[in-house]
Amino acid sequence: MDRNLRIGNYAISHTDIVRICVILSLTLSCIFITSISLSNHVETIYAQLFYFPILYATYFFPRRGLYLAGFCAIVYEVLAYIYLFPDTGGLIVTTGQATLFIGIAAVVAYFTEKINRSESRYRSIFETSLLGIILFDQNSFAIRMTNSHLAQMLGFPQEELGKMTFSQLFAVKDEQRKFFEYLGSNEDIINFETHFVAKDRGPVWVNLSWSRIDDNLVSCSVIDIDQRKQAEQAAEENYTQYKQVTENAPTCIIILAHNRIVYANPTFRAFTGYEPGELMGNDLRPIIHPEDRDRFPVFPDAPDPRMPLPGMTELRFLTKSGDTRLGTLFFTWILQKGSHAVLINLVDITEHEKLKETIQQDNERRRGIISTVAHELRTPLQPIMGYLNLLTQDPETYGVTDETKAILDRCAKSVDRERQIINQMLELSVLDSGKIPLKYSLFSVPDLLRTVIEAGGYATKADISMDIPPGLRVDADETKISIVIDSMISNAVNYSKPPRKIRIAYLSNSQEKMHRLSIQDNGVGITNSQLDEIFEPFQLPDSGSVSRKYDRIGLSLSIAKKYIQMHGGFISVDSVVNIGSTFTIHIPKQRQHEEKA
Amino acid sequence: MKQKIFVVEDDEPILDLMDILIRKLGYEPVLVANGLEALEMIRKEPPALILLDIMMTPIDGWEFLEKLRGEYGKTDIPVIIFTASPAVEERMAAIQDTRLGVLHKPVSFNELRDGIDRYLGKH
Repeated sequence: MDRNLRIGNYAISHTDIVRICVILSLTLSCIFITSISLSNHVETIYAQLFYFPILYATYFFPRRGLYLAGFCAIVYEVLAYIYLFPDTGGLIVTTGQATLFIGIAAVVAYFTEKINRSESRYRSIFETSLLGIILFDQNSFAIRMTNSHLAQMLGFPQEELGKMTFSQLFAVKDEQRKFFEYLGSNEDIINFETHFVAKDRGPVWVNLSWSRIDDNLVSCSVIDIDQRKQAEQAAEENYTQYKQVTENAPTCIIILAHNRIVYANPTFRAFTGYEPGELMGNDLRPIIHPEDRDRFPVFPDAPDPRMPLPGMTELRFLTKSGDTRLGTLFFTWILQKGSHAVLINLVDITEHEKLKETIQQDNERRRGIISTVAHELRTPLQPIMGYLNLLTQDPETYGVTDETKAILDRCAKSVDRERQIINQMLELSVLDSGKIPLKYSLFSVPDLLRTVIEAGGYATKADISMDIPPGLRVDADETKISIVIDSMISNAVNYSKPPRKIRIAYLSNSQEKMHRLSIQDNGVGITNSQLDEIFEPFQLPDSGSVSRKYDRIGLSLSIAKKYIQMHGGFISVDSVVNIGSTFTIHIPKQRQHEEKA
Repeated sequence: MKQKIFVVEDDEPILDLMDILIRKLGYEPVLVANGLEALEMIRKEPPALILLDIMMTPIDGWEFLEKLRGEYGKTDIPVIIFTASPAVEERMAAIQDTRLGVLHKPVSFNELRDGIDRYLGKH
């Protein structure tokens, strides 16, 4: 770059000064020669010398050169008139020559100006370009020229870049080597993507295109594609992640666009046995079991509030090999390539369903066995019970003495107990199957209590007090509740100490959501550790004391607990050893389950 | 003349017992171990009540009941299912027969009496 000398508002470069000196010296020598020749009357020969300084001037300084030419022509003309007057012929020739000077000078100025303008236009393009531009030597790789955009892009001052070589700009050796290979091929390359060194940040992604200007100089344009590349990389990472999630998902994933399959993951392909080619672009419907096909919706092209996506749906599918498989489907709207699509997640529940069936079959079989066993256990009891009844109810006919009758009564009691245990065992096994429905009805609690107490003859065995609102009605299964209350009262009567006092009370107020009915005795009580056990069938506590005292009601409490649970309630127990126990039945005032078919 | 009660049952000890118990209750027992034979006898001579076991061969109690009510047209004879099998109520509810009851074996003498009386209105 030229260094400038400032004179007022003008900046004159050293080159310009040299040029002006040349012009001045040429002009002076021309004037000198012309003056001599004119004084010797040989003017026509040397006048043309003026061409040189003028042309030289107009070449470098088109406008001012033209002024100079005009000025010189006038001076030439004035001198000619002075010396040649009144030689008309000579004057015409001189005027013509002067006109010719100006004409040539004007043409030179015009073209020079034009060239200069285009050069400055290119320079401004070079400087204001959004591309980075580097000119470098093909042999030494020395950087000859860079524009400010490149300097800005890489963060190096332009002076520093001017001292570097092109090869130093590469951040990665391998990419540098590749670039040299391309350069060596002598072809012009576009869109070579590589990393450049940047001064204040890490490597920058750039796109290079280059062409040779002449044998030595290569012009290379540099585009900063760092942001684009990073966005691309992030997108690629996202895509890879998404791909991994869908491709490796243990559940089936299908995407439907306009009701056509646009994606199905390998799990779905394994589920159906179809290859991607057989699925893509097709409707999903044909591989759904014909009986379930109607339940698979036709989706609108975009989410439509009038046609919400179905919730969890169970559908059977037909696999390529002809098997039927069961899947649970979940539907979601997603955006796919800018338009709406339906994402289907499918969980293969074929095996699960089979297992459920197996368990069900096992349960059926178990119930079958229990039912047979019960039948076999109960049948032989009939003759025993019948004959014992016969003997004890008609002792005279069969010659039964009072002593024998007392023994037979005890036998009958034991048979009755065995019958009760078998029946309770059966009831528990049926309850476990969950097949027993509740038969809800609205019934009077005081009436039910009176019936139970009367049937069990409890009033004769204990002093029973009741604190129940007279009009209290409950919506529940009357038979089951009466069995529960019977076992509670029987329990209280059997295990309270004389004088037996039993208090039955209704505890809830109208705001409570549960009915609470408590049955309190003054019995032996139950320790905390035994509390849980009394509700478990056939639980034998280590001490044996509870089993001894409660064994006869063990199953009835288990059944009571289950009946109350079926109503959505529970039984709580408060007990103090040797003071007494309070069993409280809690059942919701609102029905929990509708009667099952 | 005493009312006849058919006992359709294939367990011999129980048949022996029922013979005594039913007589004691003042009825005339007819003991049959085979359901098909019982049906033929009932065709000729309809009883006042039938005590019916369920687990029998060659036809079981349910088949017997179906034939009795259908083929044999005896819709008004009360039948008490007399069984040791559990959970017969469910099936009984499905049949919806107003002249059908149940006694679960083993029953005491009093329970048997009450059960029979309920249908023959002697109580």
